[in-house]
Order: sequence, then C-alpha cells, then structure tokens
Amino acid sequence: MFMYLPIALTSVNYLLVVGLGLAVGLLSGLFGVGGGFLMTPLLMMIGIPPTIAAATDANQIVAASASGTLAHWRLGNVDFKMGLYLLVGGFLGGAVGVQIIKILRATGGADFLIKMTYVIMLGVVGTFMFFESLNALRKNKKKAADPGSNPGKSGGAGGSGNTGDSLRMDSTMASADGGAGVATASMVMENEKKGLLASLPLQTYFEKSGVTHSALVPLGLGVFVGILAAIMGVGGGFLMVPVMIYMLRMPMHVVVGTSLFQIMFTCTEVTFLQAYSNHTVDFLLAILLLVGSVFGAQIGTILGRKLHGDQLKILLAIIVLVVTAKIVLEQVLEPSLLLAYGGGH
Amino acid sequence: MRKSSTMKTICRLQAAIVVMLGLVLSASTALALTVSVSPQEIPINLSYHGANLVVTGTSAAGDELIVKIASAPHDTLLKYKGKAAGLFWMKMGNMDFKNTPTVYLLSSTSKLEGLLSPAERVQYTIGYPALKERTEIESSMAEPDKDQWFDHFIQFKKKERLYRIQEGTVTRQGGNYRLETAWPYEAAPGTYTVQVLAVRDGKVVESAETSLEVARAGAVATLSRLAFDRAAVYGIMALVVAMAAGFAVGSLFKGGGAH
Repeated sequence: MFMYLPIALTSVNYLLVVGLGLAVGLLSGLFGVGGGFLMTPLLMMIGIPPTIAAATDANQIVAASASGTLAHWRLGNVDFKMGLYLLVGGFLGGAVGVQIIKILRATGGADFLIKMTYVIMLGVVGTFMFFESLNALRKNKKKAADPGSNPGKSGGAGGSGNTGDSLRMDSTMASADGGAGVATASMVMENEKKGLLASLPLQTYFEKSGVTHSALVPLGLGVFVGILAAIMGVGGGFLMVPVMIYMLRMPMHVVVGTSLFQIMFTCTEVTFLQAYSNHTVDFLLAILLLVGSVFGAQIGTILGRKLHGDQLKILLAIIVLVVTAKIVLEQVLEPSLLLAYGGGH
Repeated sequence: MRKSSTMKTICRLQAAIVVMLGLVLSASTALALTVSVSPQEIPINLSYHGANLVVTGTSAAGDELIVKIASAPHDTLLKYKGKAAGLFWMKMGNMDFKNTPTVYLLSSTSKLEGLLSPAERVQYTIGYPALKERTEIESSMAEPDKDQWFDHFIQFKKKERLYRIQEGTVTRQGGNYRLETAWPYEAAPGTYTVQVLAVRDGKVVESAETSLEVARAGAVATLSRLAFDRAAVYGIMALVVAMAAGFAVGSLFKGGGAH
C-alpha cells in the first residue's frame, strides 16, 4: 500500500495517489486544463513538499496531456496552427514573467500581490464563464422549444444589432454541433473584421477553428497568458481556455484539444528545467500520478464528447469558482499552523 | 589450637573476599550504563514506511533514564504566516530557527518534570524549554516574540512527527532497560545519535551513546543519485516515460475514443 518517494522524502499510499491522478486526469481530458491548480494543493495535503508537488505535477501533466492530445487529435479537435502561435507567445511570456517576478520579489510584498491576482483572475474568469454559459444553455433550450428559430436566423439578427457576446455563443454552439452553423461563423468573422484586430497585419485563416485572426493576436494572447502564468506559478490552462473561447472565438471542443496540445509542450519545458536546475521532480510520484491521469484523460475525452460545449463550460466555471472560494476561505480563516516551508502556490 | 586459628584465618579471608567481590560488583553495576539500538542501520527502500526501533542496555538499578534520539543541531528555515492587509493569512517572510535538530525524540522512565535541575536540562537539551534556550530565531519580522514563535515551531515539528516526548515509555527489569519506539518515515536520511542519560538526585550521573544510520538503498538510492548527479539524464528520462505512457494509453483507447 505504501511507497517511499526518493525526492519528496516521504512515504505515500500509492492507491490514493493513483486515484488523485485519475480524478485530475479526467478533468484534464474533459476541460483541457492541466489541473495544477487542483493537484498541487492536494499533493501538499498528503505531505509532499510544495516545490516538489508543483514540479512533479508538471511531469505528470506531460503524460496526461499527451494522452488527451492524442485522443482529441483523433476526434479532429486540435488546431495545431493556433496551438503553435499560442505556444511561441507563451514561451516568450513565460520568460518575461519570470523576470517580472524577480523584480516584484526584490521590491517586497510580491506574495500578496500574486495571491490577489490569482484569486481575482480565477474569480472573474469563473463568474464570467458561468453566466455566459448559463445564458447560452437557456437560449439553447428556448431554441429547442421553438423550432422556427435556428442559428442562422439568430446570427442574422445579431449582425443587425445584437451584442458580440450572443454572436460568440452562437459560433461556439454551431461549431460544437458539427459545423451546422457555417453562416453564423462567417457572420462572426465579418463582425470581427470591423474591429481593431482586423486591421492588424498577417491575417491568417485557422481552418480547424474556422476563425480568421492576425497571427499577432494568438501570439500576443500567448505572451499575456505566459506572463500571468509565470507570475502566479501555474500552468495557465484555466486562463488559456477562456482566452481561446472568448477572445479567439474557437469552438469549445477544439479549445480543449488545442489547449492540451499546448500544455504538453509547456509542461515538458517546466519539467526539464525543474529536474535540471532545482532537482524537484520526483520520478516515482510522477509515475504513480500518471498511471491514473493517462486513463483519466481518456475517460474525460469520452465523457466530453457526450456533453455540449456550453455544458462543459459551465462545469469548468463551477470548478474554477469552487477552487476560488476554497482559496479565499483559506486566506481568511486563521491557519492551524503559522509556519510553513517555502514554495508552492 | 593451631588448626582452629588456621580455620579462623581462612574464614576471615573468605569473608573479606566476599565483601570485596560485593564492592567490586556493586561498583561495576553503577558504572555499566550501556546503550545499543536495533536496527542500527535503517535502509530506505521502495516499501519503507518508517521502522520499529528497540533501544536496550544496562544501567545501575534505581537510576532514572532518559533516551534522546536526535540529529545534530542545524538551521531550520521556514516561512511565517501573518495577516496581509488585515484580511488575508499568507506567508509573510522568513523565519530561521537556528541550532535546532531535525529530529528530536525523547523517552524516559518517568515524568521529566522534576527529574533534572533546570541547568542540567539545558546542558543536555532535555525537554522543549531547554531546546528553546539553545535556539535562536532570526526573521525578516521585526523582533519576533521568541516564546510565541518557538511554540509554533514545536507544533509544526510535532505535526511532521519529527518531535516527540514520551514519558514513562522506557521500561526496566533489574539492571536492564528497554525502549520500543516508532521511527518516523518523515525523517530524512542521515546519521542520528541515540543518547541515554542516567539520572540520580536531579543530576546526570552518566551518559552513553550510539549512532543510528538512516540511508537510501536500492532503487531509492539509484533514483536519488541520478536526480542530483545526472540531472539532465534524469529530466529526459522523466519526460520520455511520461510521453510514452501518455501516447501508449492514448493508443490503447483508440476504439473507445474515436468516432
């Protein structure tokens, strides 16, 4: 039942760790997030030192995201072109973020600022996604009740004065339904082109996602998420997914696959650097976790196929909000121990 | 007459020998404080989950005994938590507990209170108040309250199961004593000292010590060496295994995952 971990220097119940991997891998396959924001605190709860928990989690995410990327690629859910632009941006952003954190740490009070940014980001993203997908689900119900109204019509109305939000929702739903609303997608693109972003150079059509953007947009957003992720010390999946949905206007299922593809590379870099410079990757712990997570990612992908894009979004929003509430509670209630080891979230 | 006087002399000599033997024996009993620990080496292999330690030895009858298992003192660097902006509890800065052992397991034949004079306690570092006397706190906090933060430190170490005081757990039978205690798996590999103190009238009259070696073995030792001595190879191995596992299981699910 127990296994000793050579780097974490502690003994763990391996069935419990495999179970944790399975649960978080399932979320990864379902929502396209790495799950670090859940896994790192859970590992710390079973006695893994914070720095080792974070680094080893990156190692197991490589396995879970490789498993998930393969499953989503087979389903045609990976936009490699978009993923590559976001990845390049993410690497640049990560490098910038690491420098920013150094400056912040030197000036003092950085931890408070980081924690606040993290909580606010999680809270805003979770709340926005929750209400947006709730609206979309309600709309969907109405449409089902009124067969006269179809996505094409709705899109047409949007073009003559509806808000951008409703257009985006239509685009997501249409694509998630298998590209039934091509008309809607083209309306969205036209609407977009009127915007400032459309005036940027290097306009590129992203076939898999069915959207046109300047290559600078995913690059810039990648930098933005990379900076925030580096500052907050997280993988950034929970930020990248909403960015792809709401700013790049990609269909939810393609978002999940592309996010996993990108996470696989980000975590590869993090794992190697942590193992090489800090010696904080526990190989045995990673193996126990990935035994669970690679299967979890597959089960998550299969489950995800049975759910509508908006149902996925609202579930992710609920998880993000629960995690936010937990962090806020932890911060407000007096901890039982007032001393701790350094590192971790 | 001559015969009876010879007999008397022999009897006296016999009595003298018996008395001398008795004196020699009692003196040797008083000095014979010994200690041994079993096992003396604890190998940390994959199935390691702590160990059962048995400390045995001999001591003068009537002496109280204290057994201390501890590491050499060093600095324990921690973060302290406080309220930021009057609302959020978070790690605020560094707190270095200087001159503290990583492991401190104390056992005795009876209650520690009143067993030793305060000066002797500090000299032999027996009990948490004595440990506090020897500890220095350095922190980024302006003038930390030593009493308050040392209490937090003890709570922290107790939670880790690395500090423990168990009174009355050392049992004796005649001139032999015995202690059975659990060695925590949370304790890092290293060399630890097992020290036994014989106490009489509030003073330590004798001490004996031996060492306990806790070392990585087998796969645990191999992986640890690889991680620290050949970090690049270790990192690449971790990645290759993760990728291979991910893609292999991904391929297994081919039937279930695809349309």
